[in-house]
Amino acid sequence: METGATFWIASAVKVIAIVLGLVNLGALLLWVERRQSAMIQDRMGPNRANLQIGGLNIRAAGLLHSAADGIKMLWKEDFTPPGADKFLYHLAPVISLVPPLCLFAVIPFGPSVYWANRAQVFGSEAWNTTTGFIPLQIAMPDSGILVVFALASSGVLGAALAGSSSDNKFSLMGGLRAASQMVSYEVTMGFSVVGAFMVYQTVRLEQMVQWQVDHAWGIFTQPLAFLLFFTAAVAETKRVPFDAPEGESEIVAGYFTEYQPMKMGMFALGELVEVMTSSALLTTIFLGGWQFPFLKLDGFHLEMFGVAKPILMSHLTVVVISAITFALKVAILALLQMQIRWTLPRFRYDQIMKLGWRILLPLSLGNILVTGIVLLFING
Amino acid sequence: MATFKLDGKEIAFEQGDTIIKAAWRQGVEIPHYCWHPGLSVAANCRMCLVELVPGANQRAMMLDVLVWDESKKDYVVSRKPKLQPSCQISAAEGMEVKSESSEHVALARKSVQEFLLLNHPVDCPICDQSGECKLQDYYMTEQATSKRMRDEPNHKPKGVSFGPTIVYDAERCIACTRCIRVCEEVIQDPMLDMRERGNLFEIITSPGRQVDGHYTMMLEWVCPVGALTTSHWRHKGRVWLLRGTQSVCPGCATGCAMFVDVDPRENTAFRNRPRENDQVNQFWMCDDGMLSYERVYKDRILSATIASERAKSADAIRHASALLSKHKGRLAVVLSAQRSTEENLIAATMAKALGADLYVTGKAAWDGDKILRNSDQNPNRAGALKAADAESLPGVDALLKKASSYDCLLVLGEDADVAPEAIKALAGKEIVVLATHWQGAWTAVANTVLPITVWAETDGTFVNAKGVAQVFKRALTPTGDVLVGWEALTKLAKGAGADTGFQRMVDLRAALQSRGLEALVAKKLDGVHPSTGAPVSTV
Amino acid sequence: MAGTIVIKKPKRTLADQSYVVEITKGLGVTLKHFFKNFGQMVTGTRPDVTKFNYEDGVATLQYPEEKKPYPRRFRGVHRLTKRSNGEARCTACLMCSTACPAQCIFIKPGEYPEGHPSRGHERYAVEFVIDELRCIFCGFCVEACPVDAIRMDTGIHMTALDNRADFIFDKEKLMSFPSQDGDFETSNTRVEPGDKAHHGITREQGH
Repeated sequence: METGATFWIASAVKVIAIVLGLVNLGALLLWVERRQSAMIQDRMGPNRANLQIGGLNIRAAGLLHSAADGIKMLWKEDFTPPGADKFLYHLAPVISLVPPLCLFAVIPFGPSVYWANRAQVFGSEAWNTTTGFIPLQIAMPDSGILVVFALASSGVLGAALAGSSSDNKFSLMGGLRAASQMVSYEVTMGFSVVGAFMVYQTVRLEQMVQWQVDHAWGIFTQPLAFLLFFTAAVAETKRVPFDAPEGESEIVAGYFTEYQPMKMGMFALGELVEVMTSSALLTTIFLGGWQFPFLKLDGFHLEMFGVAKPILMSHLTVVVISAITFALKVAILALLQMQIRWTLPRFRYDQIMKLGWRILLPLSLGNILVTGIVLLFING
Repeated sequence: MATFKLDGKEIAFEQGDTIIKAAWRQGVEIPHYCWHPGLSVAANCRMCLVELVPGANQRAMMLDVLVWDESKKDYVVSRKPKLQPSCQISAAEGMEVKSESSEHVALARKSVQEFLLLNHPVDCPICDQSGECKLQDYYMTEQATSKRMRDEPNHKPKGVSFGPTIVYDAERCIACTRCIRVCEEVIQDPMLDMRERGNLFEIITSPGRQVDGHYTMMLEWVCPVGALTTSHWRHKGRVWLLRGTQSVCPGCATGCAMFVDVDPRENTAFRNRPRENDQVNQFWMCDDGMLSYERVYKDRILSATIASERAKSADAIRHASALLSKHKGRLAVVLSAQRSTEENLIAATMAKALGADLYVTGKAAWDGDKILRNSDQNPNRAGALKAADAESLPGVDALLKKASSYDCLLVLGEDADVAPEAIKALAGKEIVVLATHWQGAWTAVANTVLPITVWAETDGTFVNAKGVAQVFKRALTPTGDVLVGWEALTKLAKGAGADTGFQRMVDLRAALQSRGLEALVAKKLDGVHPSTGAPVSTV
Repeated sequence: MAGTIVIKKPKRTLADQSYVVEITKGLGVTLKHFFKNFGQMVTGTRPDVTKFNYEDGVATLQYPEEKKPYPRRFRGVHRLTKRSNGEARCTACLMCSTACPAQCIFIKPGEYPEGHPSRGHERYAVEFVIDELRCIFCGFCVEACPVDAIRMDTGIHMTALDNRADFIFDKEKLMSFPSQDGDFETSNTRVEPGDKAHHGITREQGH
């Protein structure tokens, strides 16, 4: 691994890129959601936000609506309910936005770049993996996915604090629902990946990806775990069909009823970032991370299809293809989540609890058991 | 009383009554155009034809006619009764008349209608009579079919100016000659005549004359169709948007009964029209009376003044009542023959309580005539005296002679029957005037002016020169800071410490009745639609 | 028990209860719509909403730019029809303002002065004002008009304006709208005295 100045500069670049990228992608996702839902419902979707420069009208297919929303939120009156707990009230949106952002730190979004040998990076020279490299991952702690769970479970604090500090019974109800729902589904989430740990023999995400590159994608080795994790992840984002904490028809807007523009925007943004993060996690754990099928570090290996000679590529090309692959996988999963959000109606609160504790939890436990037995047989 | 039968209904009549007049008195209308209860009988419109049932041992007057027989597919000879104009046949005891119940009458009316409308331009949309036009009414009730003539109707002069007030439209005229008879019989000034005959007839002014004088707008009112219109109401609005209010002309001591026609949406009076009252004016009114609604708008005082400074009416009342109580004992109250009896009653009662001397004044005399116009321009001199419970009261000239003994004057109405210069002698005294118009002798010298309602804006009673008391009702809502006259006076009296005890109009009426002044309220209000209040022509 | 209706609980298979199959089906429906509409939008093959009687596809009408054509008898903004000499047909008879249930028509009648070429029509509207904010577009004024002077065949939909005063349409404004066919006069066959097509004698020449 590269050390010293290169490490710091590379880390700074990665952090800035990830944070800015995620926040902007959140806004982009807002646009995607609006237009996608419109397409699903035979509508046009918002497309009339208009930027006028001279005689030029830029509509950008409705992308400007997100910008307009942001500007509107910034300029609207920020009102704090008089009975609210000021400190917690202002803290809650921060807590619900920051953990999903931080969570991305441990997710590898590409293969390591062997930066020390520039010629190797930009040329097509022979591989030398011994020199220093820059991982396309901000942090590589030994605890790996446990960091994810630690941060993800702190997300519940945001909703719970918002609900309890707003001095509003609807907020309180929403906060309670959010807290119980997220705690419940975190259990399933945790248990569902235990099977994956057992298969990958690691909790470090970059090693999980490497295992999948070397062997098979997690979705094939742990199909049930993928399904359970996906469901739990959707529930964690508190979006339809698991949006009982917001439940407009019952409790106004749930835990953020009392929040005004920009803070409400932080909750909404946090939600969308969570969609991105959970998609990234799913990709990393079950969909082979940044791996493009049959793409090894030096190029495509298509022996399986009778092509004897590998199609060689420069290191840079492989890295770029891998990073794009990762982005594509995340995007597809995010779109799938959107699609589900516009396909299903909302679960009732008791149904959510029932699904979490009575179905998903036993299934995840069963998954661990079966995985263990299978591994026992395989490993002898 | 002798009776005859009309459509089976017993109609009482006086000796000499025609059938139509007796029926009209009973509120039964036989369709007519040329007949008018106040005019001689011409019997030229043929609309009022009725069937007379022959008495026992009498032979009916019958006509031979051809009637289409459907079964024979041919005309057959038949007989039908000879119809008689009900405006010309005198009623007789035991007579039997069929009007609505006779098919021959119905057919006759339908035919007459079609004939009268043959050359009619049917320009109802631009005709000011529409809404109160007999042609329209009888078309709906008697005809209700389109005319069979397909030719272009006859064209005749339209919009002919007969004089400053009357415009004539020959196409709409049905030659009933009511206007000519009014000129001869009521106005006694033959201004109009007719020339030609058939469909060429035309009403013309007498050679070298135009329609002028004091009684011209009445012609419009007797015209049953839109042939005669007044230049004042012509093309101003529509009749059906007006609401008629029972009122009395404030123009002179005759006190003609009339309606004030008001557009309630705009709170604006558009015209006056005579109301039938046998004791006073029968059916007629003079031009000045017909135009008296203009007084509501011209030159009105709309806000109070204290020492020539504009003030709120409530403040002015406080100021005035303080003056009255301050100058108690050296106070004179001037009643007005222009104001209603009720207002004079409060003023007189207050004067008594304050120990003030009473005077009465009004507008100066004008030229009267023998028809309707009384030489006294004041509608309520008798009422003012009645209110003061006095046979007579001194006038302003007497007040001027005793001027030194008063410090303060309370004057009702802005008019005085002396020269305005004479009143200037009173300048320097505290003069409180309750006035309606700036053009008045008293408003020039007053220190405090209270704006009050004109007659059309409040209820009241006028007693005319003959002693006939007539009630008029509120037609318009007061505008600006104008106070209702009698309410302002009761407030003044209360503020001055001379509470009259009158709180409502009924209290005032009761007090007046106890003095033998039975308010003569018109029993039935013909001329106003019973549910909408819109004007309706009856004669 | 006699007369008791037993409603059986519908049987649900494991596939139903696991949600997975049903959710997949639902996703299939939404995805079908999504891809179809998305494809049409991207390739620009979206059927013309203004022309078609729509059954499938994106039904959104981009309103100010795209408009559904109104039917011929659509009651739009009023217009005052003109005579062949360019003046308003209106004779200020007040029938429309009388018929108007919203009382949004104000007319000040007047008389053509002596010597005016239209003197034969006698009466005309000095002022003719419609408060389009008050108007409920019922068309009673058109029905009431005896001379076909007011019509609602402009095809103009009354839209929002910035200023309330702009909704008060005066005579000039009402006369400035053509009909859907671009006609300022009326297609009604009624001819008035003075019109070129009038067969008979004019009122001026009458006697």
